[in-house]
Amino acid sequence: MNTEVQIMPNRHSLFMQGTIAMIPLSVAVIPWGLLAGSYAIESGLSPLESQALSAILFAGSAQLVATGMIKAGVGLTTMLLTTLFITSRHFLYSVSMRDKIGKLPLRWRLALGYLLTDELFAICGNQSEQRFEPWYALGAGLSFYLCWNLATLIGIVAGSYIPALNELGLEFAVAATFIALVIPNIKNSPTLVAVLVALVLSVSLNLIQFEGALMIASIGGMLAGYLAETITRRA
Amino acid sequence: MTLLAILAMAALVFFSRYVFLEPKLPLRLAPQLQSMLGYSGPAVLTAILAPIVFAPEDELWVAADNPYLLCAILASVIIYKTGNVLLTTVLSMVIFLILNNLVF
Repeated sequence: MNTEVQIMPNRHSLFMQGTIAMIPLSVAVIPWGLLAGSYAIESGLSPLESQALSAILFAGSAQLVATGMIKAGVGLTTMLLTTLFITSRHFLYSVSMRDKIGKLPLRWRLALGYLLTDELFAICGNQSEQRFEPWYALGAGLSFYLCWNLATLIGIVAGSYIPALNELGLEFAVAATFIALVIPNIKNSPTLVAVLVALVLSVSLNLIQFEGALMIASIGGMLAGYLAETITRRA
Repeated sequence: MTLLAILAMAALVFFSRYVFLEPKLPLRLAPQLQSMLGYSGPAVLTAILAPIVFAPEDELWVAADNPYLLCAILASVIIYKTGNVLLTTVLSMVIFLILNNLVF
């Protein structure tokens, strides 16, 4: 009983810290949430189905592509194969977070696994096993989930009345936050190599509109970092 | 039918996020793979942010009037000097919004 009382404020404050750390990314996702909602309605989905995309599927890019496929009336197999391709980067996040989340009780694994988006990985992926706090991750993940769903709802309801928010350039908040998370981690030359290789690969592959650009650039960067590490260790 | 497709895709996405978090899944990562994974954070985040900064309009844009690039450099300097993530994000975002919507 006593310990419970002492633990509560700590949980609460960790949850709030996670929520606050996520704010820039939650704000940056608003235009895309609005778009996801209004695009789903435009594509002929019912309001319930449109909200279900965000509430159940909860995957920005996969959702937009899924909406397009539902509209085009493609078969379920094609839909699932395309989804598998887009979602493949989550396997990488899952492997990376295994040490931190894998030892938690089932309800924590299910909750944090469900919330494991690009954004949550950005906030928690760099944390060491000692520094990782489930309540902090839950605050970050859940607040992001609510923000995404609220934006979708507004997109569904207000759809055509919303001005083109995406022209404001709110996605820069993603870049700014990620820069702030990456730069302090560049403490040695292998990490610098990983970052530079991922940067060049990602920009070039995006320019030629290569479908799996993010995945290939990420793995390329990781490989380059690892190779640089082996070389520096031998030298 | 649409709802069924959404559920099927949701199951797949959840599987991709959860599968390696399951301790019952026998998975012993080779040390090489583990040290590779150590670079996953910086590599993935850079891969996501780089196109936003260098090709915000789907074309390579390396010039002094690219507000994304200018403010990315600014953000790098602020985080390097202060180490404060929230300050870096808010300050560079405010300057970006001014440059992008009022100046250029």
